[in-house]
Amino acid sequence: MSILKKFNIKEKISISLEFFNELVFVKRSLYALGASLLFSFFIVQSSTPFFFVSSSLMDADTSSSSAPMDMGGAATALFGGAERSKPADEFRSNMNSYLLAQRMWNKGWGSKIFGNGDMNEEYFNKIPKSHTLIDRVVAFISGYDLYDYFTAYDLQGHIQDTIAVNQPLGNPNIVLSTKTKSKDFAIEFMNAVILETDQYAKERLISKSNEIIKATYTQLAVSKNSMIASALASTINSEYFKIANLENNLPHLLDLIDPPHSSEYPVAPKVSAIFLSSAIIFLFASILFSFIQKNKEDLW
Amino acid sequence: MVNEYFTLHSYGGTLEYYLFELANFSALAFFAMFLYKLNYINSNSLLAWLAIFFAPLVFNYFLFSPLLFGDQFRYAAEAMYQKSSGSSLDFLSASGFKEPAIQLTAKILGVTPLPNYMTVTSLAFANMFFLFVTFLWFKRFFSNENEVLLYFLIPSLILFASVSLRDLLIIVISVLFIINLIRDRYIYAAVFLFPLLVLKIQMFAFLLLYLVARLFFRAHKNHYLFTFFVLGVMIGGVIMEEQILEVLNLYRLAFVAENFVAFDGSISYLAWNEYGGDSAKALELASLGDAAYNAILKLPIFFIMPLPWNWSNIFYPLQSFESWLLIYLYVRLAMKQNLYKNSEFILLTFILLIGSSIYALLMENEGTFVRYRFTLFYPFLLAAFYLSSASHKSLKK
Repeated sequence: MSILKKFNIKEKISISLEFFNELVFVKRSLYALGASLLFSFFIVQSSTPFFFVSSSLMDADTSSSSAPMDMGGAATALFGGAERSKPADEFRSNMNSYLLAQRMWNKGWGSKIFGNGDMNEEYFNKIPKSHTLIDRVVAFISGYDLYDYFTAYDLQGHIQDTIAVNQPLGNPNIVLSTKTKSKDFAIEFMNAVILETDQYAKERLISKSNEIIKATYTQLAVSKNSMIASALASTINSEYFKIANLENNLPHLLDLIDPPHSSEYPVAPKVSAIFLSSAIIFLFASILFSFIQKNKEDLW
Repeated sequence: MVNEYFTLHSYGGTLEYYLFELANFSALAFFAMFLYKLNYINSNSLLAWLAIFFAPLVFNYFLFSPLLFGDQFRYAAEAMYQKSSGSSLDFLSASGFKEPAIQLTAKILGVTPLPNYMTVTSLAFANMFFLFVTFLWFKRFFSNENEVLLYFLIPSLILFASVSLRDLLIIVISVLFIINLIRDRYIYAAVFLFPLLVLKIQMFAFLLLYLVARLFFRAHKNHYLFTFFVLGVMIGGVIMEEQILEVLNLYRLAFVAENFVAFDGSISYLAWNEYGGDSAKALELASLGDAAYNAILKLPIFFIMPLPWNWSNIFYPLQSFESWLLIYLYVRLAMKQNLYKNSEFILLTFILLIGSSIYALLMENEGTFVRYRFTLFYPFLLAAFYLSSASHKSLKK
């Protein structure tokens, strides 16, 4: 009882009721809610739904993966040891490289992304690129030329900007993800990027092995020492073995565990949150208006 | 589902962003209006808090990109993931370890009754709520609400409350801890100390020292007990010298490594690991005397940084001016009513100096340590302000 008296609960409840009756439970609030509904419909209609497209990959050779070493806190960072999964890093580097973008470009992906999808090489190498007025003015003043056409560099930027490569903690899988307005195209594109990246990594290694074999044969021809000759022969064998491993249809860096697929519902915008937020804003605006009308003398 | 993986959709700068965050602003503003009607706050406070609540919308995406405080995205992602799945994203620190501070911050801020947590700045509105509640709690010790309000209009305080980081939470918890401790409410103080162990271990250590000084040494009672405490600290320091130096040296090295830029443009820990190892020996503190000497040399710089020759953006001169203002306020409080003779104030200032000296020793990156300094200084400033209040004096009679 003493607490109720101390805080004067009765009076506070009466003031609260007065506040709500004067400012909240009034006709204007209903109008505000009606206006908020119209506004929300407009926002929902004008916004573009984004779908989440993702794919899971797993290290093709799990035996070569290296787990982070447990060295302890800052010491790990300072003195090394924070080694990450190599195939994932290699995959990320290859995927973000210009050479991969160029291969994708030659297969017509530039046309699908920046043009009308025409696979004619003459067309997709001449897709006109528009620049903003500011960019053009700056280029003119600074005295440099802007590119007239889209190139593989633009495709490289597109891949880097849209496809994220992550490895969630405690999960051996590498997850590729993107948020997109066009889910079918994103699935097709992500699939192509994954396969092309792996193929590119393989071809690069095959080419490297061929070069090593060529150079080793040259050394073997002039080598007089039997021990060195034996070591060189062993290198050649090992490189041939690598080539045999790479010249097949199996994935090299990462296995495709879960092919690219899209979320059923868009991840953004959240329609219920738009309606709720809009209702709160309009209702508050109505309350604020009434509040200022009734309290302007006290406030100023 | 094998690959359900969470990514943050931040709605950065879109119409939806402003819609979601204006709803959060509206909820807080409604709360303030309601309290005004109940006569809990006066009209000045109402107007000031309406302006403060609007600050996250002015700072993020308008005055600067939220990427300037990039960690905001981690806190926001964690909060959203916790709310949608009930579990944690388990962020990794630079050292490859989980960061429980992000989880705890998201958990605490996530309980704020906001309409939505849709964007990267939603947690900033949660910060605002905590700051406002702290103001409501703190002002009851004073008869002049406007004077208290001025202490909540300090630019850095509004800035840290306007971003989705944990600094404001650390400040609020530290204030609650110190004021409760000064009011001899040790259990409450201990409860508030615990989250600091996770949120900011340095603050936990400084405030734990304060708790020990009050609870075991009764150093706030008179000058003799305070001297006894200082002697105790010195003897403890000598006994534990090796362990203290080990921790100090590791942190010194870590801050230098974090800010390391190698000749080839590589930065931070990896660059240090590759190129910086040779200079590690030069950074080592050989003894506590060496540490004290270095701390004394660096302490003035720590208090007044950023120095004019380091100003590199518009915030730096403002922060520099603010650092002088904060020192002035603290000294003014000390002089007011001869507070500097008060044993409680002397102990408070001693703990502040210990904390500041340690930060001065570790000081590397200006931006980081200006933030650290404010997080440390502000709770002590409010505590000094509290000591000058009539409420505290009547409590002690």
